[in-house]
Amino acid sequence: MNVSISDAILLAHAAFGVTGCLAALWVFLEALNAQPGNAGRTRAAALVTAVSMAAAWICGGYWYVQFYPAEKALILQGPWPFAHNLFMETKEHLFLITGILAFLLPVVTREKVHSNAAARKLVLSVAALIVITGLAVEGAGAVIEHGAKVALLRGGQKGDR
Amino acid sequence: MNSATDPDSPKLTAATSGFVLAAATAALFNTALAWARDAYAPLNGLMESLTGNSWTTHCLADLVLFAGLGFLFTKTRAAEKIVPNRLIGALIGAAAIAGIGLALWFAFV
Repeated sequence: MNVSISDAILLAHAAFGVTGCLAALWVFLEALNAQPGNAGRTRAAALVTAVSMAAAWICGGYWYVQFYPAEKALILQGPWPFAHNLFMETKEHLFLITGILAFLLPVVTREKVHSNAAARKLVLSVAALIVITGLAVEGAGAVIEHGAKVALLRGGQKGDR
Repeated sequence: MNSATDPDSPKLTAATSGFVLAAATAALFNTALAWARDAYAPLNGLMESLTGNSWTTHCLADLVLFAGLGFLFTKTRAAEKIVPNRLIGALIGAAAIAGIGLALWFAFV
């Protein structure tokens, strides 16, 4: 098996991102069924969301700065230049919104979600936004990797079908 | 009575309101800065010179703005006066406008 440090960091980035999305979904489900008894679990899940997204941010940021320039050049020479021009450009900025929302989640779950309808609605909204934007970012990541793959498989022929 | 204007509707703490408003502001700032960097190369160059990578500077600017505004709004209790439903609407609206704004910009500009 030959797994480079670049591969490991990239896979860790995606894995932490998925974990963050799942933890946000967990917060959403706990808030749907908010009771005094699950307040601690809701806060713990919010913390897992924030920590996972922070780890995804650090891994992804390091990989983007250190390793992505070579892949970007490959993608731009290949048949799917939009994998960078549209998907990576959008992903690298959209993720920052996901990250900020993930850091907001532990703050909003400090409210008494079970007895405060506004707080419950807020927690549901923030958690849902994290899941939606997080899944969009994960999907964009798959398109970017496929952009690199088709560039390698098709020998960098622009416009190849 | 509409819950958005009902004075007896449940309230959020100063910290929650403050950081929600800060997050909505930071989301819109994030997209505006992405547009500005893409449209004006000297800004991108300046941001690159600050940390060695313009995206890293962009991240730090977003985080400093979010944390800074969050603590400021909490301390001044500025966001606490906003009705919770409006605050939630502002956050959802800001995230939607910011996200769609990014995709449309990089798709068509």
